[in-house]
Amino acid sequence: MSYCVHCGVELDATAASCPLCATPVHDPKSPRDTTSPPPYPTRSSTVELPGKGELALLLTVILCAVAAACGLLNVFLKPGRLWSLYVIGALLTVWFWLILPIFLPKLHRAAKVLLDGAAVALYLFLISVDLNGRDWYLGLALPIVLAETAVVLAMAVYLPRHSILTTITVLIGGCALSCLFVELFVDLWLTGRWQPLWSLVVTAACGAVMAVLIVVRRVPGLRAWTRRQFHL
Amino acid sequence: MAKKKAQPSMWYPMDNAGVLYAAISGDDYSPVYRISAVLDKAVDAAALQRALEKTIPRFPTFHVRLRKGAFWYYFVPDDRPGPFVQEDVCNFCQPMEPTAEATRLLRVCRYENRVSIECFHALSDGGGAMVFFKTLLACYFRELGEDIPNEMGILDVEEPPRPGEAEDAYRRYAAGRAAPRTWKATAYHPTGTPEPFYTLNVTQGILSVDAVKKTAKAHGGSVTEYLSAALIWTLMELQRREGSRERPVSLAIPIDLRRFFPTETVRNFILTARPCIDPRLGDYTFSEVVEQVRYQLRLELSRPLMQGNITGNVNFQKNPILKAVPCALKDPVMKLSYRLAAIRPFSMTYTNPGIFTAPARMARHIERVEAVLGQPYGDTVNCASVSCGDVLSISFASNLKERDVEREFFRFLVKEGLHVKVLSNRPDPDRNS
Repeated sequence: MSYCVHCGVELDATAASCPLCATPVHDPKSPRDTTSPPPYPTRSSTVELPGKGELALLLTVILCAVAAACGLLNVFLKPGRLWSLYVIGALLTVWFWLILPIFLPKLHRAAKVLLDGAAVALYLFLISVDLNGRDWYLGLALPIVLAETAVVLAMAVYLPRHSILTTITVLIGGCALSCLFVELFVDLWLTGRWQPLWSLVVTAACGAVMAVLIVVRRVPGLRAWTRRQFHL
Repeated sequence: MAKKKAQPSMWYPMDNAGVLYAAISGDDYSPVYRISAVLDKAVDAAALQRALEKTIPRFPTFHVRLRKGAFWYYFVPDDRPGPFVQEDVCNFCQPMEPTAEATRLLRVCRYENRVSIECFHALSDGGGAMVFFKTLLACYFRELGEDIPNEMGILDVEEPPRPGEAEDAYRRYAAGRAAPRTWKATAYHPTGTPEPFYTLNVTQGILSVDAVKKTAKAHGGSVTEYLSAALIWTLMELQRREGSRERPVSLAIPIDLRRFFPTETVRNFILTARPCIDPRLGDYTFSEVVEQVRYQLRLELSRPLMQGNITGNVNFQKNPILKAVPCALKDPVMKLSYRLAAIRPFSMTYTNPGIFTAPARMARHIERVEAVLGQPYGDTVNCASVSCGDVLSISFASNLKERDVEREFFRFLVKEGLHVKVLSNRPDPDRNS
C-alpha cells in the first residue's frame, strides 16, 4: 500500500496519483496495480435532457395565430392603414429574441446577435412602410441599428474569454461607443454634420472609469485587493 | 355488455420537502443523491434485476412519475416496466428532468462489487431510501441463496405496502404554533473553478469507526459532532487563508425526524439543523468548535422547535393564496426562496444517514456503505458520511476543479492521528500509462 507524502493518506493500489494533491505515486517497493479495476468506473455518460422544442413550437403557434388574426382584422378594420404591421413586427422580434434560442440552444452567440439586429431592423422597416418613412429608415434608423449591432457583436465575440474586470471595462467602453454612434447618426440626419455634445460627456465619464479599471487590471496588487473586496 | 368500470386514478400529493425539490429542479440542477454498498464479490446483474423486480412493488412511492399540475406537482404510479439495472458511470447523479416522459426518478447501478441507487430527492430522503436499499440488498442476497430475515429495517416484500409507508408525516405532525422565521447571516462559501456541466467529482475517505469514535470522545463529542466540527474547522482555515471578508461558517445538517416523531413513512421527513461558528467573534480552538457544534445541535433538536418548524413549513403548503398561484409563477419564487433560505446561510451540506445495520448473514457480505450527495446547488462542495460495521466512509461531492476542502479536511483527520484511505472518481491522468 502507498501513502501520499504530502497528505499522509493511504492511496488505492490502482491510483497513479494522490486524489487530494495530485502528487504522483512513485513507490518502488509497492508498484501500482495496473491489472485490478479502479475503485470507480472510468466510463462517463451524459444524460440528454429533453429540449424545450415543444414549448417553443407552442409559443410559435400562439404568436403566428395572433399575427394572422391581426392581419385578418386589418382587412376589415381601418384597411387604409397597415396597423397590423406594428403587431406582426413586434411578434416577429419577440420570436427572434426569445423563441429562436429555445429552438436552437447551440446557436453561436454571434449569429444570435446578428439575427436579433436583423429582427429590429425588420421591425423598424415595417413601421417605415406604414408611415412612408423610407428616408428616416435609411438615413437614421438602419445606420443606428447596424452600428449598435456591430458594437454588441464585437462584445459578444470578445467578452466570454476574459476576466470580469475586463468584461466590465469593455461593457462600459461599448456603452460609450454606442452613445457616440447614436449622436453621430442623429446629427448627420438633422444637420448634415457631426457636432458631438452629450455623447462626449458620456464618453469622458466612461473613459475615466475605464482608466481606473485598466490600472486595477494591470497592477497585480490592486487586482488581488479588488477581487478580495468584491469577491470577484 | 356491462360497461367496464373506470379504475380510480391514483396519485400522490407531494410531501413538504418534495414540493420544494420538484420546484427547484430544472435544466441546471437536479436534487439527486446516491447510496451504494461495496460487496465482497462482483455484483450479479441478473440476480440484482430479479431482486429489483421483487422489491419495487413493495415500495410504490419509489416507482412513480412526477407530473406538473397547474398549481402543484404530484406523483402518479409509473406503469412502465422497470426500472432496470444499469452499468455505473463515473459521473454520478446525472441530471433528471423530473417531469419528462422518459425520466426515471430512481436508478439502480452496478460496477464490479458496488451496487448503487440514485434517487430523486422528492421521492424520499436518505432514511427512506436506506430502507428501500436494505430491502433490495436483502432480496439480492436471497437470490444468491442466502436466508436473510426481515429485520433491522428490511421490509417483507411478500407483504402488501402499508398505508403508513406512503404517509406525508409532515402533515401529521404539523400541529400547534409555527416557529418564527429568523433571518440568518450569509455564510462563507468555498468556491473555485466550476467543472463542465454535471461533472461530479467524488472524493471518499475510508476510516475506522472505532478510531473516529475514540478521537471524537477525546474532544467531547459524538462522531457526527466531531466530523461537523472538523468540516467547520477546515472551512474556517480556508477562509482565513483566502483573506476575504470573514463570514460565519455553518453547515446544513439534515436531521432524520423519524427519531423524534414516530412514523413508518419512507418518503421525505427531514429538517435542517445549522451549527454555525462566527470567526469574527474571535479565535476558537478545535475543542471549542466541537463544543459549540454539540450545544447548537442539541438546541436545534428540541421537539417543540422542530414541530414549530414543521408546522411553519406545512402552513406554507396549506396557504390558500399560495394554492391559487400557478406553478409557473410559484417555481421561480421558490427557487429564489431556496437560494436565500437554504443556500445563502449555509457554507455546505453535511449529511450523516447514520449507521447501516443489517442482519449478520447480510452484513458479512457488505464491506462498506457509501452515501454521495449529488450535484450541489451552485458551484460548491457537499459532504456525506455513513458507517457500516467498523468502516466509516466520508464522501465529498463537488463540481469544482479545485480539491481544497477535501484535501484540508482529510489532512486534518490525518493530523488528528486517524488512518484515512482515499479514493476518488476524478480522472487519473496517469491511470492508463
